[in-house]
Amino acid sequence: MASLRGLSRPVRGLPLSQISRQPYCCSIRCASSSQPSAAELKDLEDSGLRAPPLNEDEKKDFRPWKRQVDRKFGLPSGRYSYHPPKFDRGPLHPVQSPPSSDPTARDYVPGPFNLPRLRQTYLSTVASDIMTLTYLHTPPGTPDKEASQRLREWDGSSPYHKNRPLRAPRGSPVLPLRERDINFTNIPEIKEISIASYVPAALQDMDHLLVARTMLLAITGTTPEITKTKADVAQWRIRSGEKAGVKTTIYGNAAYEFLDRCINIVFPRIKDWKGIKASTGDSSGNLAWGFTPENMRLFPEIEVNASVYPPKMLPGCRVFVKTSATSDRQARLLLQAMGVPFHGQVRD
Amino acid sequence: MSSTLTTALRGLRLTPFLPIRPSVTLPSIPSRPLSTTSVPLNKMSPQYLAAKGLNKKSKAKNNAPRQPNFINMLRHLAVLSPRRIPAPLRMARNRYLRHWTIHRAWLMYRRKEREAREKVWMRQYQSMNHACEELRLTSGPGSRDEGSLFRTALEKWGVYGLKGVPIEYTRAQTETPARVAWNHDWKR
Repeated sequence: MASLRGLSRPVRGLPLSQISRQPYCCSIRCASSSQPSAAELKDLEDSGLRAPPLNEDEKKDFRPWKRQVDRKFGLPSGRYSYHPPKFDRGPLHPVQSPPSSDPTARDYVPGPFNLPRLRQTYLSTVASDIMTLTYLHTPPGTPDKEASQRLREWDGSSPYHKNRPLRAPRGSPVLPLRERDINFTNIPEIKEISIASYVPAALQDMDHLLVARTMLLAITGTTPEITKTKADVAQWRIRSGEKAGVKTTIYGNAAYEFLDRCINIVFPRIKDWKGIKASTGDSSGNLAWGFTPENMRLFPEIEVNASVYPPKMLPGCRVFVKTSATSDRQARLLLQAMGVPFHGQVRD
Repeated sequence: MSSTLTTALRGLRLTPFLPIRPSVTLPSIPSRPLSTTSVPLNKMSPQYLAAKGLNKKSKAKNNAPRQPNFINMLRHLAVLSPRRIPAPLRMARNRYLRHWTIHRAWLMYRRKEREAREKVWMRQYQSMNHACEELRLTSGPGSRDEGSLFRTALEKWGVYGLKGVPIEYTRAQTETPARVAWNHDWKR
Protein backbone atom coordinates (compact mmCIF):
# COMPACT_ATOMS: atom_id res chain seq x y z
CA MET A 1 0.00 0.00 0.00
CA ALA A 2 2.93 2.25 0.68
CA SER A 3 3.86 2.17 -2.98
CA LEU A 4 0.38 3.39 -3.88
CA ARG A 5 0.47 6.38 -1.62
CA GLY A 6 1.79 8.72 -4.27
CA LEU A 7 -1.03 7.93 -6.69
CA SER A 8 -4.23 9.86 -6.90
CA ARG A 9 -7.29 8.58 -5.12
CA PRO A 10 -9.19 7.12 -8.13
CA VAL A 11 -6.11 5.12 -9.14
CA ARG A 12 -5.71 3.84 -5.60
CA GLY A 13 -9.26 2.56 -5.68
CA LEU A 14 -8.62 0.38 -8.74
CA PRO A 15 -8.51 -3.36 -8.08
CA LEU A 16 -4.78 -3.90 -8.76
CA SER A 17 -2.91 -7.16 -8.49
CA GLN A 18 -2.77 -9.03 -5.23
CA ILE A 19 1.02 -8.68 -4.98
CA SER A 20 1.09 -4.92 -4.63
CA ARG A 21 -1.49 -4.97 -1.86
CA GLN A 22 0.19 -7.02 0.88
CA PRO A 23 -3.15 -7.92 2.44
CA TYR A 24 -2.40 -8.77 6.09
CA CYS A 25 0.99 -8.34 7.61
CA CYS A 26 2.04 -10.96 10.11
CA SER A 27 3.71 -8.35 12.26
CA ILE A 28 0.32 -7.41 13.66
CA ARG A 29 -0.11 -10.90 15.06
CA CYS A 30 3.46 -10.94 16.38
CA ALA A 31 2.88 -7.88 18.45
CA SER A 32 0.33 -9.67 20.58
CA SER A 33 2.37 -12.83 21.11
CA SER A 34 2.87 -12.14 24.81
CA GLN A 35 -0.43 -13.28 26.29
CA PRO A 36 -1.79 -11.11 29.13
CA SER A 37 -2.82 -12.92 32.28
CA ALA A 38 -6.45 -13.68 33.12
CA ALA A 39 -6.42 -11.15 35.93
CA GLU A 40 -5.58 -8.39 33.48
CA LEU A 41 -8.37 -9.44 31.18
CA LYS A 42 -10.98 -9.58 33.91
CA ASP A 43 -12.05 -5.99 33.39
CA LEU A 44 -12.34 -6.54 29.67
CA GLU A 45 -14.46 -9.64 30.16
CA ASP A 46 -16.91 -7.73 32.34
CA SER A 47 -17.24 -4.95 29.79
CA GLY A 48 -20.66 -4.40 28.34
CA LEU A 49 -19.07 -3.82 24.95
CA ARG A 50 -18.08 -7.48 24.58
CA ALA A 51 -19.21 -9.09 21.33
CA PRO A 52 -20.32 -12.71 21.17
CA PRO A 53 -17.47 -15.03 20.12
CA LEU A 54 -17.31 -16.13 16.49
CA ASN A 55 -17.64 -19.75 15.52
CA GLU A 56 -15.35 -21.43 12.98
CA ASP A 57 -17.58 -20.77 9.95
CA GLU A 58 -17.90 -17.11 10.75
CA LYS A 59 -14.16 -16.87 11.21
CA LYS A 60 -13.67 -18.45 7.82
CA ASP A 61 -16.12 -16.05 6.21
CA PHE A 62 -14.55 -13.00 7.82
CA ARG A 63 -12.11 -11.91 5.11
CA PRO A 64 -11.99 -8.14 5.02
CA TRP A 65 -9.17 -8.13 2.48
CA LYS A 66 -11.36 -10.16 0.12
CA ARG A 67 -14.18 -7.70 0.52
CA GLN A 68 -11.84 -4.84 -0.22
CA VAL A 69 -10.45 -6.55 -3.34
CA ASP A 70 -13.93 -7.28 -4.67
CA ARG A 71 -15.16 -3.75 -4.07
CA LYS A 72 -15.57 -1.85 -7.33
CA PHE A 73 -14.96 1.62 -5.90
CA GLY A 74 -12.75 2.57 -3.01
CA LEU A 75 -14.19 3.79 0.25
CA PRO A 76 -13.77 7.45 1.06
CA SER A 77 -10.54 8.15 2.79
CA GLY A 78 -10.56 7.48 6.48
CA ARG A 79 -8.27 10.43 7.00
CA TYR A 80 -9.44 13.97 7.43
CA SER A 81 -10.84 15.25 4.18
CA TYR A 82 -13.41 17.92 4.99
CA HIS A 83 -12.71 21.50 5.91
CA PRO A 84 -15.57 23.75 6.99
CA PRO A 85 -15.70 26.98 5.00
CA LYS A 86 -14.05 29.98 6.55
CA PHE A 87 -16.67 32.51 5.51
CA ASP A 88 -20.44 32.48 5.46
CA ARG A 89 -21.38 33.11 1.85
CA GLY A 90 -25.12 33.28 2.41
CA PRO A 91 -27.93 30.75 2.55
CA LEU A 92 -27.97 30.12 -1.20
CA HIS A 93 -24.31 29.20 -1.58
CA PRO A 94 -23.68 25.48 -2.15
CA VAL A 95 -20.87 25.41 0.43
CA GLN A 96 -22.43 25.75 3.89
CA SER A 97 -20.95 25.63 7.34
CA PRO A 98 -21.86 22.64 9.50
CA PRO A 99 -24.15 23.34 12.46
CA SER A 100 -22.46 24.78 15.51
CA SER A 101 -23.12 21.55 17.40
CA ASP A 102 -20.77 19.78 15.00
CA PRO A 103 -17.35 19.50 16.67
CA THR A 104 -15.59 20.27 13.40
CA ALA A 105 -17.51 23.53 12.93
CA ARG A 106 -15.58 26.74 13.36
CA ASP A 107 -18.09 28.15 15.83
CA TYR A 108 -18.27 24.96 17.90
CA VAL A 109 -18.16 25.57 21.63
CA PRO A 110 -17.96 22.54 23.90
CA GLY A 111 -20.14 22.39 26.94
CA PRO A 112 -22.19 23.10 28.99
CA PHE A 113 -20.01 21.92 31.84
CA ASN A 114 -22.13 23.05 34.76
CA LEU A 115 -25.69 23.81 35.79
CA PRO A 116 -25.88 27.33 37.23
CA ARG A 117 -27.41 27.23 40.67
CA LEU A 118 -29.88 29.98 39.84
CA ARG A 119 -31.10 27.94 36.90
CA GLN A 120 -31.31 24.84 39.08
CA THR A 121 -33.33 26.82 41.63
CA TYR A 122 -35.59 28.14 38.91
CA LEU A 123 -36.25 24.76 37.33
CA SER A 124 -36.80 22.88 40.56
CA THR A 125 -38.70 25.45 42.63
CA VAL A 126 -39.32 28.91 41.25
CA ALA A 127 -41.08 27.92 38.04
CA SER A 128 -43.77 25.79 39.65
CA ASP A 129 -44.19 28.32 42.46
CA ILE A 130 -44.82 31.15 40.00
CA MET A 131 -47.29 28.97 38.16
CA THR A 132 -49.13 28.18 41.39
CA LEU A 133 -49.02 31.72 42.72
CA THR A 134 -50.54 33.27 39.62
CA TYR A 135 -53.02 30.52 38.86
CA LEU A 136 -56.40 31.81 37.72
CA HIS A 137 -59.22 29.34 37.46
CA THR A 138 -61.46 29.34 34.44
CA PRO A 139 -64.53 27.13 34.90
CA PRO A 140 -65.06 24.77 31.99
CA GLY A 141 -67.43 26.12 29.40
CA THR A 142 -66.53 29.76 29.99
CA PRO A 143 -66.52 31.61 26.67
CA ASP A 144 -63.26 33.32 25.69
CA LYS A 145 -63.07 37.01 26.51
CA GLU A 146 -63.20 39.32 23.54
CA ALA A 147 -59.68 40.69 23.17
CA SER A 148 -59.45 44.45 22.82
CA GLN A 149 -58.23 45.68 19.47
CA ARG A 150 -54.71 47.05 19.76
CA LEU A 151 -54.53 48.27 16.18
CA ARG A 152 -56.94 51.03 15.14
CA GLU A 153 -59.38 50.42 12.36
CA TRP A 154 -60.16 52.82 9.54
CA ASP A 155 -63.52 54.52 9.80
CA GLY A 156 -64.59 53.59 6.27
CA SER A 157 -65.34 57.15 5.18
CA SER A 158 -63.40 56.59 1.99
CA PRO A 159 -63.78 53.67 -0.43
CA TYR A 160 -60.00 53.39 -0.38
CA HIS A 161 -60.15 52.24 3.24
CA LYS A 162 -61.20 48.80 2.06
CA ASN A 163 -58.49 46.15 2.57
CA ARG A 164 -56.11 48.65 4.10
CA PRO A 165 -53.95 47.24 6.90
CA LEU A 166 -54.93 48.42 10.38
CA ARG A 167 -53.36 51.55 11.80
CA ALA A 168 -50.62 51.51 14.41
CA PRO A 169 -51.53 52.42 18.02
CA ARG A 170 -51.82 56.07 18.85
CA GLY A 171 -48.69 57.78 20.11
CA SER A 172 -46.14 55.06 19.52
CA PRO A 173 -45.24 52.78 16.65
CA VAL A 174 -44.39 49.99 19.12
CA LEU A 175 -47.08 47.36 19.59
CA PRO A 176 -46.87 46.22 23.24
CA LEU A 177 -47.50 42.61 24.07
CA ARG A 178 -50.84 41.57 25.49
CA GLU A 179 -50.51 39.88 28.84
CA ARG A 180 -51.25 36.18 28.85
CA ASP A 181 -52.21 34.19 31.93
CA ILE A 182 -49.41 31.94 33.14
CA ASN A 183 -49.98 28.25 32.67
CA PHE A 184 -47.63 25.29 32.51
CA THR A 185 -46.57 26.05 28.95
CA ASN A 186 -45.59 29.68 29.39
CA ILE A 187 -43.97 30.06 32.77
CA PRO A 188 -41.76 33.16 32.50
CA GLU A 189 -38.04 32.48 32.27
CA ILE A 190 -34.92 34.44 31.50
CA LYS A 191 -34.00 34.39 27.84
CA GLU A 192 -31.01 36.68 27.52
CA ILE A 193 -29.26 39.62 29.11
CA SER A 194 -27.93 42.52 27.06
CA ILE A 195 -25.32 44.79 28.54
CA ALA A 196 -24.61 48.13 26.90
CA SER A 197 -22.28 50.95 27.80
CA TYR A 198 -22.20 54.40 26.27
CA VAL A 199 -18.75 55.97 26.38
CA PRO A 200 -18.90 59.52 25.06
CA ALA A 201 -15.36 60.17 26.30
CA ALA A 202 -14.17 57.82 23.56
CA LEU A 203 -14.76 60.61 21.04
CA GLN A 204 -11.79 62.45 22.53
CA ASP A 205 -9.66 59.51 23.59
CA MET A 206 -10.09 56.03 22.12
CA ASP A 207 -8.51 54.50 25.20
CA HIS A 208 -11.86 54.88 26.97
CA LEU A 209 -13.38 52.55 24.42
CA LEU A 210 -10.60 50.06 24.99
CA VAL A 211 -11.27 50.06 28.73
CA ALA A 212 -15.01 49.63 28.13
CA ARG A 213 -14.43 46.70 25.78
CA THR A 214 -12.12 45.01 28.22
CA MET A 215 -14.60 45.58 31.03
CA LEU A 216 -17.50 43.97 29.20
CA LEU A 217 -15.26 41.17 28.02
CA ALA A 218 -14.24 40.45 31.60
CA ILE A 219 -17.79 40.59 32.92
CA THR A 220 -19.59 38.58 30.27
CA GLY A 221 -16.91 36.44 28.68
CA THR A 222 -18.01 37.50 25.20
CA THR A 223 -16.33 39.88 22.81
CA PRO A 224 -18.43 43.05 22.83
CA GLU A 225 -19.28 44.90 19.70
CA ILE A 226 -18.72 48.61 19.26
CA THR A 227 -21.74 50.87 18.84
CA LYS A 228 -21.80 54.18 17.03
CA THR A 229 -23.58 57.42 17.79
CA LYS A 230 -26.81 57.91 15.91
CA ALA A 231 -27.41 61.63 16.08
CA ASP A 232 -25.60 64.90 15.52
CA VAL A 233 -25.84 67.00 18.66
CA ALA A 234 -23.56 70.01 18.76
CA GLN A 235 -23.98 70.64 22.48
CA TRP A 236 -22.80 67.14 23.34
CA ARG A 237 -20.06 67.32 20.71
CA ILE A 238 -21.18 64.17 18.97
CA ARG A 239 -21.55 63.48 15.32
CA SER A 240 -23.41 60.49 13.94
CA GLY A 241 -21.38 57.45 13.04
CA GLU A 242 -18.61 57.81 15.60
CA LYS A 243 -17.58 54.94 17.80
CA ALA A 244 -18.84 55.72 21.28
CA GLY A 245 -20.05 52.61 23.05
CA VAL A 246 -19.97 48.87 23.46
CA LYS A 247 -22.64 46.24 23.87
CA THR A 248 -22.95 42.51 24.18
CA THR A 249 -25.60 39.88 24.79
CA ILE A 250 -25.34 36.68 26.80
CA TYR A 251 -27.80 33.83 26.59
CA GLY A 252 -28.84 30.81 28.62
CA ASN A 253 -26.48 29.59 31.30
CA ALA A 254 -24.18 32.59 30.95
CA ALA A 255 -27.14 34.90 31.57
CA TYR A 256 -28.10 32.99 34.71
CA GLU A 257 -24.52 33.12 35.98
CA PHE A 258 -24.35 36.86 35.36
CA LEU A 259 -27.64 37.45 37.19
CA ASP A 260 -26.42 35.30 40.05
CA ARG A 261 -23.29 37.43 40.36
CA CYS A 262 -25.37 40.62 40.30
CA ILE A 263 -27.79 39.40 42.96
CA ASN A 264 -25.39 37.80 45.39
CA ILE A 265 -22.18 39.81 44.98
CA VAL A 266 -22.81 43.21 43.44
CA PHE A 267 -26.22 44.33 44.73
CA PRO A 268 -25.49 43.70 48.44
CA ARG A 269 -22.30 45.76 48.26
CA ILE A 270 -23.73 48.88 46.63
CA LYS A 271 -23.81 51.60 49.24
CA ASP A 272 -27.12 53.23 50.17
CA TRP A 273 -28.95 51.22 47.59
CA LYS A 274 -32.68 50.71 47.96
CA GLY A 275 -33.19 48.36 45.06
CA ILE A 276 -34.14 48.55 41.45
CA LYS A 277 -36.82 51.04 40.56
CA ALA A 278 -40.08 49.15 40.30
CA SER A 279 -41.22 51.33 37.41
CA THR A 280 -38.66 49.75 35.09
CA GLY A 281 -39.79 47.75 32.11
CA ASP A 282 -40.92 48.15 28.53
CA SER A 283 -44.42 46.75 29.29
CA SER A 284 -43.47 43.61 27.38
CA GLY A 285 -41.65 41.74 30.10
CA ASN A 286 -38.13 43.13 29.70
CA LEU A 287 -36.65 44.85 32.75
CA ALA A 288 -33.55 47.01 32.90
CA TRP A 289 -31.27 48.72 35.38
CA GLY A 290 -27.98 50.56 35.41
CA PHE A 291 -24.64 50.29 37.12
CA THR A 292 -22.51 53.32 37.88
CA PRO A 293 -18.72 53.16 37.36
CA GLU A 294 -18.27 52.66 41.11
CA ASN A 295 -20.68 49.74 41.02
CA MET A 296 -18.76 48.15 38.18
CA ARG A 297 -15.74 47.85 40.42
CA LEU A 298 -17.74 45.51 42.67
CA PHE A 299 -17.89 42.79 40.03
CA PRO A 300 -15.46 40.06 41.05
CA GLU A 301 -13.93 39.86 37.56
CA ILE A 302 -13.04 43.53 37.71
CA GLU A 303 -12.09 43.49 41.36
CA VAL A 304 -9.33 40.91 40.87
CA ASN A 305 -7.79 43.06 38.14
CA ALA A 306 -8.68 46.46 39.50
CA SER A 307 -5.23 47.89 38.79
CA VAL A 308 -5.61 47.25 35.06
CA TYR A 309 -8.54 49.64 34.73
CA PRO A 310 -7.33 53.20 35.18
CA PRO A 311 -9.27 55.34 37.64
CA LYS A 312 -11.95 57.53 36.08
CA MET A 313 -11.84 55.59 32.82
CA LEU A 314 -14.14 52.73 33.78
CA PRO A 315 -17.64 53.39 32.39
CA GLY A 316 -20.96 52.37 33.87
CA CYS A 317 -23.36 50.18 31.97
CA ARG A 318 -27.00 49.38 31.47
CA VAL A 319 -28.32 45.85 31.91
CA PHE A 320 -31.40 44.66 30.03
CA VAL A 321 -32.91 41.41 31.24
CA LYS A 322 -35.14 39.91 28.58
CA THR A 323 -37.65 37.41 29.85
CA SER A 324 -40.33 35.35 28.20
CA ALA A 325 -42.93 37.05 30.40
CA THR A 326 -45.59 39.00 28.55
CA SER A 327 -45.94 41.85 31.03
CA ASP A 328 -43.74 43.79 33.40
CA ARG A 329 -45.43 42.52 36.53
CA GLN A 330 -44.86 38.91 35.52
CA ALA A 331 -41.22 39.64 34.78
CA ARG A 332 -40.90 41.46 38.11
CA LEU A 333 -42.37 38.48 39.91
CA LEU A 334 -39.79 36.24 38.24
CA LEU A 335 -36.86 38.46 39.18
CA GLN A 336 -38.21 38.96 42.71
CA ALA A 337 -38.36 35.20 43.15
CA MET A 338 -34.73 35.06 42.09
CA GLY A 339 -33.71 37.68 44.62
CA VAL A 340 -33.70 41.02 42.82
CA PRO A 341 -35.05 43.70 45.19
CA PHE A 342 -37.41 46.36 43.84
CA HIS A 343 -38.45 49.64 45.41
CA GLY A 344 -40.64 52.61 44.66
CA GLN A 345 -43.77 53.09 42.64
CA VAL A 346 -45.04 50.21 40.57
CA ARG A 347 -46.09 51.09 37.06
CA ASP A 348 -47.96 48.49 35.08
CA MET B 1 5.43 24.80 34.38
CA SER B 2 3.69 27.91 33.13
CA SER B 3 6.48 28.81 30.72
CA THR B 4 6.58 25.23 29.43
CA LEU B 5 2.88 25.32 28.75
CA THR B 6 3.15 28.67 27.04
CA THR B 7 5.98 27.40 24.87
CA ALA B 8 3.97 24.33 23.94
CA LEU B 9 0.99 26.47 23.01
CA ARG B 10 3.17 28.71 20.86
CA GLY B 11 4.38 25.63 19.04
CA LEU B 12 0.76 24.80 18.25
CA ARG B 13 0.27 28.23 16.65
CA LEU B 14 -2.35 28.99 19.28
CA THR B 15 -1.96 32.09 21.32
CA PRO B 16 -2.44 31.28 24.99
CA PHE B 17 -5.43 32.95 26.55
CA LEU B 18 -3.63 34.75 29.28
CA PRO B 19 -5.55 36.72 31.86
CA ILE B 20 -4.79 40.38 32.10
CA ARG B 21 -1.80 40.83 34.31
CA PRO B 22 1.32 42.93 34.49
CA SER B 23 3.16 42.45 31.24
CA VAL B 24 6.56 41.99 32.84
CA THR B 25 5.62 38.46 33.84
CA LEU B 26 5.09 37.36 30.25
CA PRO B 27 7.79 34.93 29.17
CA SER B 28 9.89 35.89 26.18
CA ILE B 29 9.83 33.79 23.04
CA PRO B 30 12.39 30.99 23.24
CA SER B 31 15.02 30.35 20.59
CA ARG B 32 14.06 27.89 17.87
CA PRO B 33 17.05 25.80 16.83
CA LEU B 34 15.46 24.05 13.83
CA SER B 35 13.66 27.03 12.37
CA THR B 36 14.94 28.93 9.37
CA THR B 37 12.52 31.82 9.62
CA SER B 38 13.51 35.00 11.36
CA VAL B 39 13.05 35.05 15.08
CA PRO B 40 10.15 37.30 16.09
CA LEU B 41 10.97 40.16 18.33
CA ASN B 42 10.32 40.00 22.02
CA LYS B 43 6.68 40.93 22.50
CA MET B 44 7.50 43.72 24.93
CA SER B 45 10.57 45.09 23.18
CA PRO B 46 10.37 48.67 21.88
CA GLN B 47 11.03 47.52 18.29
CA TYR B 48 8.11 45.08 18.41
CA LEU B 49 5.72 47.62 19.89
CA ALA B 50 6.78 50.20 17.35
CA ALA B 51 6.26 47.73 14.51
CA LYS B 52 2.82 46.87 15.81
CA GLY B 53 1.94 50.49 16.45
CA LEU B 54 0.97 49.60 19.99
CA ASN B 55 3.04 52.13 21.81
CA LYS B 56 1.35 55.12 20.24
CA LYS B 57 -2.14 56.37 20.79
CA SER B 58 -4.30 56.48 17.71
CA LYS B 59 -5.64 60.01 18.05
CA ALA B 60 -3.33 61.39 20.71
CA LYS B 61 -1.55 64.64 20.31
CA ASN B 62 1.29 63.57 22.53
CA ASN B 63 3.50 60.75 21.39
CA ALA B 64 4.04 59.34 24.83
CA PRO B 65 4.33 55.54 24.89
CA ARG B 66 1.33 53.57 26.05
CA GLN B 67 1.09 52.30 29.56
CA PRO B 68 1.64 48.56 29.95
CA ASN B 69 -1.91 47.90 31.10
CA PHE B 70 -3.26 49.37 27.86
CA ILE B 71 -0.90 47.21 25.84
CA ASN B 72 -2.17 44.24 27.83
CA MET B 73 -5.77 45.11 27.05
CA LEU B 74 -5.01 45.49 23.36
CA ARG B 75 -3.25 42.16 23.22
CA HIS B 76 -6.02 40.51 25.18
CA LEU B 77 -8.60 41.71 22.67
CA ALA B 78 -6.30 40.90 19.74
CA VAL B 79 -6.23 37.26 20.81
CA LEU B 80 -10.02 37.15 20.41
CA SER B 81 -10.15 38.92 17.06
CA PRO B 82 -11.68 36.95 14.19
CA ARG B 83 -8.27 36.77 12.54
CA ARG B 84 -6.89 34.76 15.42
CA ILE B 85 -9.62 32.12 15.66
CA PRO B 86 -7.86 28.76 15.72
CA ALA B 87 -8.31 26.23 12.95
CA PRO B 88 -11.33 23.97 13.31
CA LEU B 89 -10.93 20.53 14.81
CA ARG B 90 -10.11 17.79 12.33
CA MET B 91 -11.70 14.43 12.79
CA ALA B 92 -11.55 11.22 10.85
CA ARG B 93 -14.55 9.02 10.31
CA ASN B 94 -14.56 6.95 13.49
CA ARG B 95 -13.70 9.80 15.77
CA TYR B 96 -16.39 11.94 14.18
CA LEU B 97 -18.91 9.15 14.60
CA ARG B 98 -18.01 8.82 18.27
CA HIS B 99 -18.62 12.53 18.74
CA TRP B 100 -21.83 12.39 16.79
CA THR B 101 -23.12 9.48 18.87
CA ILE B 102 -22.32 11.21 22.14
CA HIS B 103 -23.88 14.43 20.90
CA ARG B 104 -27.10 12.66 19.94
CA ALA B 105 -27.16 10.91 23.30
CA TRP B 106 -26.71 14.25 25.05
CA LEU B 107 -29.56 15.80 23.06
CA MET B 108 -31.77 12.85 23.91
CA TYR B 109 -30.90 13.14 27.59
CA ARG B 110 -31.72 16.84 27.59
CA ARG B 111 -34.99 16.26 25.82
CA LYS B 112 -36.02 13.60 28.32
CA GLU B 113 -35.13 15.86 31.23
CA ARG B 114 -37.13 18.72 29.73
CA GLU B 115 -40.13 16.56 28.98
CA ALA B 116 -40.09 15.15 32.49
CA ARG B 117 -40.04 18.70 33.89
CA GLU B 118 -42.89 19.82 31.69
CA LYS B 119 -44.86 16.76 32.62
CA VAL B 120 -44.53 17.61 36.30
CA TRP B 121 -45.68 21.16 35.64
CA MET B 122 -48.61 19.92 33.60
CA ARG B 123 -49.70 17.53 36.35
CA GLN B 124 -49.43 20.28 38.95
CA TYR B 125 -51.52 22.58 36.81
CA GLN B 126 -54.15 19.93 36.25
CA SER B 127 -54.27 19.15 39.96
CA MET B 128 -54.87 22.82 40.72
CA ASN B 129 -57.55 22.88 38.07
CA HIS B 130 -59.34 19.86 39.51
CA ALA B 131 -59.08 21.16 43.07
CA CYS B 132 -60.48 24.57 42.14
CA GLU B 133 -63.29 22.99 40.20
CA GLU B 134 -64.12 20.87 43.23
CA LEU B 135 -64.04 23.92 45.51
CA ARG B 136 -66.21 25.93 43.17
CA LEU B 137 -69.00 23.37 43.36
CA THR B 138 -68.71 22.88 47.13
CA SER B 139 -70.86 24.81 49.58
CA GLY B 140 -68.49 26.00 52.20
CA PRO B 141 -68.09 25.18 55.88
CA GLY B 142 -71.14 25.94 57.97
CA SER B 143 -73.73 28.14 56.39
CA ARG B 144 -71.51 29.64 53.67
CA ASP B 145 -72.82 29.50 50.16
CA GLU B 146 -71.50 27.52 47.25
CA GLY B 147 -68.02 28.52 46.06
CA SER B 148 -67.04 30.72 48.98
CA LEU B 149 -63.91 28.66 49.59
CA PHE B 150 -63.15 28.89 45.88
CA ARG B 151 -63.31 32.67 45.95
CA THR B 152 -61.07 32.77 49.01
CA ALA B 153 -58.57 30.45 47.37
CA LEU B 154 -58.32 32.56 44.26
CA GLU B 155 -57.72 35.89 45.95
CA LYS B 156 -54.61 37.40 44.41
CA TRP B 157 -54.01 40.37 46.69
CA GLY B 158 -50.36 41.38 46.72
CA VAL B 159 -49.12 38.66 44.40
CA TYR B 160 -47.66 41.17 41.98
CA GLY B 161 -46.76 43.66 44.68
CA LEU B 162 -43.28 44.48 45.86
CA LYS B 163 -43.72 42.27 48.92
CA GLY B 164 -45.14 39.37 47.02
CA VAL B 165 -42.06 37.22 47.49
CA PRO B 166 -40.44 37.01 50.94
CA ILE B 167 -36.71 37.60 50.90
CA GLU B 168 -36.03 34.31 52.68
CA TYR B 169 -37.45 32.49 49.69
CA THR B 170 -34.89 33.85 47.26
CA ARG B 171 -31.87 31.91 48.47
CA ALA B 172 -30.33 30.08 45.51
CA GLN B 173 -30.07 26.36 46.10
CA THR B 174 -26.62 24.97 46.77
CA GLU B 175 -25.12 21.56 47.38
CA THR B 176 -23.91 22.69 50.80
CA PRO B 177 -26.62 24.89 52.29
CA ALA B 178 -26.07 26.79 55.51
CA ARG B 179 -27.13 25.23 58.80
CA VAL B 180 -29.14 28.34 59.67
CA ALA B 181 -31.11 29.27 56.60
CA TRP B 182 -31.57 32.94 57.39
CA ASN B 183 -30.05 35.07 60.10
CA HIS B 184 -32.92 37.32 61.13
CA ASP B 185 -30.87 39.06 63.83
CA TRP B 186 -28.30 40.44 61.40
CA LYS B 187 -27.66 44.18 61.69
CA ARG B 188 -25.28 46.31 59.73
